Amino acid sequence: MGFGDLKSASGLKVLNDFLSERSYIEGYVPSQADVAVFDAISAPPSADLCHALRWYNHIKSYQSQKSSLPGVKKPLGQYGPAGVADSTSGPAPASKEDDDDDDMDLFGSDDEEDAEAARLKEERLAEYAARKSKKPALIAKSSILLDVKPWDDETDMAKLEECVRSIQMDGLVWGQSKFVPVGYGIKKLQISCVVEDDKVGTDILEEQITAFEDFVQSMDVAAFNKI
Amino acid sequence: MALRELSSLEKYLGLKKPNKYSTQGDKKVPVLQNNNGPPLVGLVTIACHLVKEAKRPELLGDSAEGRAVVQQWLEHRVTKLDGCTKEDTKTILKDLNLYLQDKVFLAGNQFTLADAFIYFGIHPLIVEMPIQEKEQYVNVTRWFDHIQHHPGLRHHLPPLVVLRNRIYTSRHH
Repeated sequence: MGFGDLKSASGLKVLNDFLSERSYIEGYVPSQADVAVFDAISAPPSADLCHALRWYNHIKSYQSQKSSLPGVKKPLGQYGPAGVADSTSGPAPASKEDDDDDDMDLFGSDDEEDAEAARLKEERLAEYAARKSKKPALIAKSSILLDVKPWDDETDMAKLEECVRSIQMDGLVWGQSKFVPVGYGIKKLQISCVVEDDKVGTDILEEQITAFEDFVQSMDVAAFNKI
Repeated sequence: MALRELSSLEKYLGLKKPNKYSTQGDKKVPVLQNNNGPPLVGLVTIACHLVKEAKRPELLGDSAEGRAVVQQWLEHRVTKLDGCTKEDTKTILKDLNLYLQDKVFLAGNQFTLADAFIYFGIHPLIVEMPIQEKEQYVNVTRWFDHIQHHPGLRHHLPPLVVLRNRIYTSRHH
């Protein structure tokens, strides 16, 4: 029951909807119910809340007789549509909750403990944060296996490897390599590297490797694994 | 119909001695034959006479403007509402709905003869109205429900049940 907060727009809207099919708050004659709700509203409702405005103007005409209207004034929460959350009896549930706490306060001095616990928690949080900032952030790394192919079997593979390893980049670490025969005496260089994803990408690698045009015919990514 | 309304009105007014009415013409216009005077013809005329007899002048309006509005509605009842066609009823109800948007009673802030007779007149229309239309004419339904509960008014008419829960949640202001 109740209209919610009659000083707010939402409460007035509830009142408006309620009055769209009623002439009075309760029953079919003006009563103390109307007086109670009328007193709770600070100003005439706006024109778009036409039912509330109609009711307001009508009840205003009864101002002189308001004490003689029938009925008994009840708290605002008793009027209005059922199912609307009663915001007028706010203090009551809060104090009820306090009572419950007291009843269940078996371990005593909860407040003190809470303060202590809060302090401890904060300390620990600070420590954790400090540790975390010292630890290097997790960097995304990948292990890439590259196939570098020469022009022909005459190409000096050792030289080729040297060229490839000469590529230095931030976040690039060369790993193992081996020569894999592909046929007709041609060998390809299979070399692995570990890269930081943010800093090195395969396209950059490809660019740099194929820059050695004398030696490198093409480069492929044989395998790409995230670490 | 008119005769029953008049006897209802008499009961509402608390007049001790019910009058004898007759009717004249095909439209069955009620006639009240007074012992000492010319006969009163017409629903509105007789109704106003009864109100004066019962010494309830406030039922005719509390101010000059109020009285004029009451007379206007009474005339509206006799000329427009009685014997109107189906298409007319829609217009009449629409106008009434608009008029009642910001009013609790038809004239002023209290019950008057205008409310009574428009209620009597509309009753057969409202009774036949489907729920959807009743929800469309929000103000008429509200006013109707209010008037039919007015103490002492409803004698010869069955009460109309008004649903509180909206069934058709279509546009309504």
